[in-house]
Amino acid sequence: MRTSGGGRSRLLLITLIVTALFLITLDLRGVGVLNGARAGVQTILSPFQRAGAFVFSPVKSFFSDITHLGRTHNQIESLRLDNAKLTSQLLNRKNADAELTQLKNILNLAGTAGFKVLNARVISQGSSQSFAQSITIDAGTNAGIKKNMTVLSEFGLAGVVKDVYFNTALITLATDPSFKIGVRVAGSQQIGILSGRGNTSAGLELIDNLTNVKIGDVLLSRGSVANRPFVPGVPVGYVTAVDNSAGAIAQSATVHLYTSFSTLGVVAVVLASPGVNPGDALVPTKPQPTPLPTITVFVTPSPSPTK
Amino acid sequence: MRRIFIALPIFLLIYIVQEAVVNQFRLPGGGFSIFLIFTVVWAILSPPEIAAFIGFIAGLMMDLSASSNGPIGQWTLLMIATCYSVAYFGAGNASVMENPLGFTLFVGSALFFTELAYVLTGALLGVASGGFGQVILTTIGISIWNLVITPIVLPIFTHLHSLIFDSRSAI
Repeated sequence: MRTSGGGRSRLLLITLIVTALFLITLDLRGVGVLNGARAGVQTILSPFQRAGAFVFSPVKSFFSDITHLGRTHNQIESLRLDNAKLTSQLLNRKNADAELTQLKNILNLAGTAGFKVLNARVISQGSSQSFAQSITIDAGTNAGIKKNMTVLSEFGLAGVVKDVYFNTALITLATDPSFKIGVRVAGSQQIGILSGRGNTSAGLELIDNLTNVKIGDVLLSRGSVANRPFVPGVPVGYVTAVDNSAGAIAQSATVHLYTSFSTLGVVAVVLASPGVNPGDALVPTKPQPTPLPTITVFVTPSPSPTK
Repeated sequence: MRRIFIALPIFLLIYIVQEAVVNQFRLPGGGFSIFLIFTVVWAILSPPEIAAFIGFIAGLMMDLSASSNGPIGQWTLLMIATCYSVAYFGAGNASVMENPLGFTLFVGSALFFTELAYVLTGALLGVASGGFGQVILTTIGISIWNLVITPIVLPIFTHLHSLIFDSRSAI
């Protein structure tokens, strides 16, 4: 431990702390210069992020896939032989195919609702050190993106545009603890508020305490005034658990979000909406069970017993 | 001052690596920040007043990152405090400076308390950090990552420091 402090060192420390407090005050008061600085840094960083996304996209999902190893063990075993043959081709094509699939599904989703969307590639996953859940995309004001626009993934709602820079935009994901969206239950039309929790599930608070929500209920976005920040009818998630504790003011539930946030490669920003609420048209169809063929074997006894 | 200007390009390089490479991966448990680890290691190897200035620069850079959630100045404030503290308590401490394991644990604990302080100051400043359980899980996850990554990068960072300043031996 150092024993000598020194007046000069103390003065420097106080100056630095006061400067930091001054910056916090300015930022909380919404001084534009500081936001401009953040936008400038993001503009400088975006080419590096693009390069990083290009180089690391084939192995991007590796670490998130590790957590699913137990569940996918059998699948991995059966695919190992196929993979050996296709590895070289797959490395180049895998990423492009995955993005293409995501893109197709996003366009299907947006096309059904008649949304005018702009597709963008995810160039950075954001840092968890700040306990925020965000991504950066490779399109910004140059492509017509504005603040508070809805962002879709292939499965439904991904998040909302938080900040826009010249050629990039920062998206707050639906898993972010600060994320809130008005939702309605498909079919029963009950309304509630969905909040991010920092993980793949979200919390739902129903507004009306006289109605009930059931496990499996699908939630859609309610939409906002002038469709910003949220367009209506976008699938958000489905109810996985209902909290029926006595004495609660309103019913609450746990919701599994449709979007797979760890594998986001391509997203779509809703630039315009037709103005007509698509209602329940975007509710994802439930997977149909494959019928199992029944094989009946007739055994005819032989006339003479075998020796 | 000369020390800081020499170190600045290295800080910029590590910052770009953090933003362009490390942030590409959504790691389980919250992941790690190579920039944070680098800053704390560099601060431990520096005198307290230099460490405080390094913390100011590094914190400001973290605040200016688009993925930063809090107001500009929050990381700056915390990094000044962290860097000054680690330099103050680390210098001359044989169990830290002469023992790689002690050094790693010291860096790990410093980062753990920095993350906790970030949550607490964030709560005061109105920054949403998630539920209590989620914050604890993320903080523990980040700390584990830091304890795994620090020993790997420690020889590189300390060697880099001794190479530039020729003042202390590499750990």
